[in-house]
Amino acid sequence: MGKTIQLMGIIVLILGFIVSPAFSAEPLKIATLTDMSGPYAELAGWGNINAAKMAIEDFGGKVLGMDIEYVYRDHQCKADLANQKAIELYEKERADVIFDCPNSASGLAVTNQALKYKKIFIAVTSGTTRYTGDLCNRYTFHYAYNDYVLATSAGMWAADNLGKKWYTITADYAWGHDLLKHFSAALQKRGGTLLGNEMVPLGASDFSPFIIKAMNAKPEVLALLNAGKDTVNSTKQAVEFGLRKQTKIVHALLFPEDIKAAGPEVFADNYVTASWDWKVDQPGVKEFVAKWMKKFGRPPNWFNAGNYSAVTQYLLAVKRAGSKDPQAVVKALEGHRFSDFFASPGYIRPEDHKRVGKAYILRAKKPSEIKEPWDYFQIVGVVPAEQAYQDVKETGCKMGDF
Amino acid sequence: MNIQFVIMQLFNGLIMGSIYVLLSLGLTIIFGMLGIINFAHGAFYMFGAFVAYTIMAYLIPNFWVALIVGPIVMAIFGAACEAFILRRLYNLPPLYVMLFTFGLMLVLQDFIRMIYGAAGVPFRTPSSLDGSINLGFMFYPKYRIFLIIITSMCSLGVWLFLSKTKLGAIIRAGTDNSIMVDALGINISKIFTLVFGMGIGLAGLAGVLAAPLQNVSHLMGVDFLVDCFVVVVVGGMGSISGSIVGGLIVGEIIAFGVMVWPPMAHTLIYIFMAAFLLIRPRGLFGREAFHE
Amino acid sequence: MNKGVWSKQKVIVVSAALLLAIIFPHIAPYIALASEILIFALFAMAFDLMLGYAGMLSFGHAAFFGLGAYTAGVILKDLYPSVPLALLGGVIVSSLAGFIIGFLSIRRRGIYFTMVTLAFAQMFYFIAFKWTGLTGGDDGLQRVPRPSLGPLDLKSQIVFYYFLLFSVIICAIILLRIVNSPFGKTLQAQRENRNRAMSIGYDVDKFKLRAFIISAFFSGLAGGFYALLLNFVPLNSLHWTNSGEVVVMTITGGMGTLFGPVLGAVCIILLRDIISNYTESWTFIMGMLFMAAVLGFRGGIIGILRNKLRLTI
Repeated sequence: MGKTIQLMGIIVLILGFIVSPAFSAEPLKIATLTDMSGPYAELAGWGNINAAKMAIEDFGGKVLGMDIEYVYRDHQCKADLANQKAIELYEKERADVIFDCPNSASGLAVTNQALKYKKIFIAVTSGTTRYTGDLCNRYTFHYAYNDYVLATSAGMWAADNLGKKWYTITADYAWGHDLLKHFSAALQKRGGTLLGNEMVPLGASDFSPFIIKAMNAKPEVLALLNAGKDTVNSTKQAVEFGLRKQTKIVHALLFPEDIKAAGPEVFADNYVTASWDWKVDQPGVKEFVAKWMKKFGRPPNWFNAGNYSAVTQYLLAVKRAGSKDPQAVVKALEGHRFSDFFASPGYIRPEDHKRVGKAYILRAKKPSEIKEPWDYFQIVGVVPAEQAYQDVKETGCKMGDF
Repeated sequence: MNIQFVIMQLFNGLIMGSIYVLLSLGLTIIFGMLGIINFAHGAFYMFGAFVAYTIMAYLIPNFWVALIVGPIVMAIFGAACEAFILRRLYNLPPLYVMLFTFGLMLVLQDFIRMIYGAAGVPFRTPSSLDGSINLGFMFYPKYRIFLIIITSMCSLGVWLFLSKTKLGAIIRAGTDNSIMVDALGINISKIFTLVFGMGIGLAGLAGVLAAPLQNVSHLMGVDFLVDCFVVVVVGGMGSISGSIVGGLIVGEIIAFGVMVWPPMAHTLIYIFMAAFLLIRPRGLFGREAFHE
Repeated sequence: MNKGVWSKQKVIVVSAALLLAIIFPHIAPYIALASEILIFALFAMAFDLMLGYAGMLSFGHAAFFGLGAYTAGVILKDLYPSVPLALLGGVIVSSLAGFIIGFLSIRRRGIYFTMVTLAFAQMFYFIAFKWTGLTGGDDGLQRVPRPSLGPLDLKSQIVFYYFLLFSVIICAIILLRIVNSPFGKTLQAQRENRNRAMSIGYDVDKFKLRAFIISAFFSGLAGGFYALLLNFVPLNSLHWTNSGEVVVMTITGGMGTLFGPVLGAVCIILLRDIISNYTESWTFIMGMLFMAAVLGFRGGIIGILRNKLRLTI
């Protein structure tokens, strides 16, 4: 009898050893879905992947006793691929959270999968206000910026400082229309007038007719509501026609990579909004930039910084929640106030899941003013969060339940 | 919309049209002579721009040098492609050759992306052509006027070469019936190489000329490719004059569309082409034989 | 089955293929990719009817795929969440489009036919881009539901895959019967020699139009499935590059064989996914593969299989 009990005890122990890994903490899996081979490869791509990796490393590689695993996927800026990769990440890879996702159409598809699989998606690199508007859901967060911020901050600041008579050249699709709406509203608030607007098909190579029309209206400011290749083309051609002699140019989006790609003479003295810049005077920035420079040889852009901050805040939220269960982490993120090198201060609004904070107005430097590589911008203004971010009541977000 | 704007737009249409003309000339003589639908044509255009950039950024920072050397390099590159690779494909059904040129396009584009990155490279207008000229009723950028002039000269040059020289006559004959030309004892394969090289050289020239006006990136040829097929089809496959006239017409249609309803401008050329083909299937100057 | 003798070889190959298809979701990188492969296999088969059998190269097939997808999506989202209704709506619209576009473009042949089909597809793309109220424009049609079909919970990716597999096999059988029927034979006859077919008395254009409509039908069905798979319809489904995709799949796989294109779809989608996980330069590698394929193979992948394995299917 005694021997039988002993035997059973040993068997139970052995079974316990075999079964116990199932009970010990499953690792926390973080994923980045980004564009590694398409148009945003330089802006996002490896930069954002490295940012996430660095954040995990700096956090210690573990949280709540769980190991942190990391995967990344390329969606090449194609919405259907983004959808499929999100499914792969949530289902096959069992990722607990997806970060980044440049390109708004792709990101919107991912929010749907996030809702379907009941896992978190933190959008960093795309700007559509629909994430926190008509397509908001409890699992989606929008971290670094949005189109309203870009348009309103630049619009208000420029109306105050550059001129009240405006003309706009807009990329003719949802994003452009959204920007135009917000720019016009901001302009009106500051007593400016929109003399006219040109809708330009996406990817147009010849902007000359629109620039000519703009010049004929003699505005004080020209707003280029486009991005990437369109920004480069329209600006190059505006310079070609001599528009800058009488008009200042404000961009919706402009990155150091764009300036490098086209040459700083093209963008000199143009203005744009940014959530962050490597020269910003906030606590923690110098150390982060130095660390990044040492590792990668160039300063981070604000997408990279945003991803680092987002991953860190997520991990802190997991710690606060005491578990990696998505619903608990969402509750830990909602309403959280914090301060780090990226957002100083930052606040995650529970009503629509936006990370709000101040916005910076940047001026692109003339070639003669550039003292070191990547020193393309000068910070000329700060817009407080209450002005930069849209009022909660106006977002149109009906945050459902889980 | 005042008359000044309309005239400006007509000029702009000529600019777009000029690029289309250069590209389509290459495309059409390649198709006419070799029967190849060159999907990689846009990629060669892009490659030409990058060759010019490389010359100016790393070798001799002079636009005029790049303008001359660039297309020559591309012509040699094209001739080499034909001589060493494409030649083996002539006995294959045309669809396979099309797939091949499609693969070539992917390779050329990604190759440039791997070296220069996806964002693009800076390319400025040469300082001698900076600024605008006062044409009396309007100011127009010098560089654009230069572009129109150069393209006209090139098109004229190509046309003269093909219609007035002996080699040109051989090429025209070969376009009509390459077997017969071969039978007459002329080394047709050398002619093929020459023609392909010429076509690619023209594409490269278009790339160099267009570079100061737009974002020079690995994808800059993709949008032009489909439009060029439209031009070639409207002008008539294999017809030189067709490419010239067709290119200008398409450029002006886009310019006109931009004046009337910008979003529709690009789609307008497809509607125009479809309507045109339904009425006159062989294009403006095309020949019946190129139906299949 | 009108396939002639069921040779031992045929039985082995078909059974092996079926077995592979059944375990495929478990060996593929992820289940949704396996479903995507099935959808494009169907699209490629539909396309092959036009290219391989009727001898017509259309560069506008994305229009039918996209119309099927958007119609199904709109029905599911805004009208009534029923899978059969959505798919039916999708094929009706795409077939109608096939009839209209076919009717207008059949008159032209060769490259001119190709360009006319491209032109029409571009117009549909433009309409979808601008009509944001209906299609979502550049953002695409978001939040397309995937309701259950009777007892089948299609929300599960694996259940959806087997539903797709069953549907695609039925479609394949139908298409096989079509190409082996007198209609199919006549199509091939006019492809080989139009004038002779006409002189025998066949109204060649009528045959071509029918082939066009059938091809559009199945392309639209594939599109409808795609909307269900993604739970959204991307604008890219209507873009000419999507037409180009199916052209490449069909030629690489081996046109005129119906199953060659299936292989083409499998290989291209799988390769693309696997390679892109290892390097950003997957486009370069795919391009090299296409060039090597043309230089090396004759008759596509199925050509190689037939030659090397001495298959007679």
